[in-house]
Amino acid sequence: MNHRWIIAGALILGLAPIAPIAAHHGWGWATGEEFELAGTVKTVRHGNPHGTMLLATRAGEWTVEIGQPWRNAQAGLTPQLLRPGTRLLVHGHRSARKGERLMKAERIVIAGKSYNLYPDRPS
Amino acid sequence: MSIASTLAGVLGAIEQAGPVLALRNSTFVYPIVNAVHIIGVALLFGSIVALDLRLVGWRRDVGPTDAFARLLLPVAITGLAVAIPAGLLLFATDARAYASSSLFQAKIAVIAIAIANALWLRTIDWQGPRGGRRAALAGVASIALWLAAIVLGRLIGYF
Repeated sequence: MNHRWIIAGALILGLAPIAPIAAHHGWGWATGEEFELAGTVKTVRHGNPHGTMLLATRAGEWTVEIGQPWRNAQAGLTPQLLRPGTRLLVHGHRSARKGERLMKAERIVIAGKSYNLYPDRPS
Repeated sequence: MSIASTLAGVLGAIEQAGPVLALRNSTFVYPIVNAVHIIGVALLFGSIVALDLRLVGWRRDVGPTDAFARLLLPVAITGLAVAIPAGLLLFATDARAYASSSLFQAKIAVIAIAIANALWLRTIDWQGPRGGRRAALAGVASIALWLAAIVLGRLIGYF
């Protein structure tokens, strides 16, 4: 038997789990449309590769991705500001996957003050 | 206390350790550790696939398997020795989430099998006529396993 086929088999076998891949980092996974969401912080995880918070909203529980530590710090978005119970408004982009309650924040408004994670992007 | 809650407690304590917290909140160190992990994986994967292809019989005319092994195995082992500690550091920053991720669990299982496969190969006469066939099989398994480990590792970040 030609061993090329064996090698091709190994490649296909190893790459099999790649099938359901969906982009996540960057903006490719989100819609291009501006989106905003109001809610109350339930839990927050700060740190690399990026922070994540769970938001209680009128449309149920949403996951909001915030920046990595340096980006949040640059925006003035300190861990002290983002505590459970904080009411806030998030501007950004929601997941393009239908029904998925996930968005990535561009700008967060707390008590009328804007914290802009992406000053170069319209939000 | 159950094993699961004890484990969760230990993993939580790891996440809260000073150096781990510093890494998690760092600006440059985290991406550098990330890069070191990838460099280790690249060294391991590139060299092990070359050796696996030789085991399968590709380019048999270039030289004896032993010569390939003497060049490529140290590179592969160095890669593994670089990738594992860097990977453990990345794991520590979000230990409970990684440990409970089925993709992460699958990745670790696949790596364990791949290492066992490589160690088993050392116990057979991989250049003899009988070892040749088994070695070829181990080579195919190795390519598939390391590919799967890389893909599973990447998928963790997306689900």
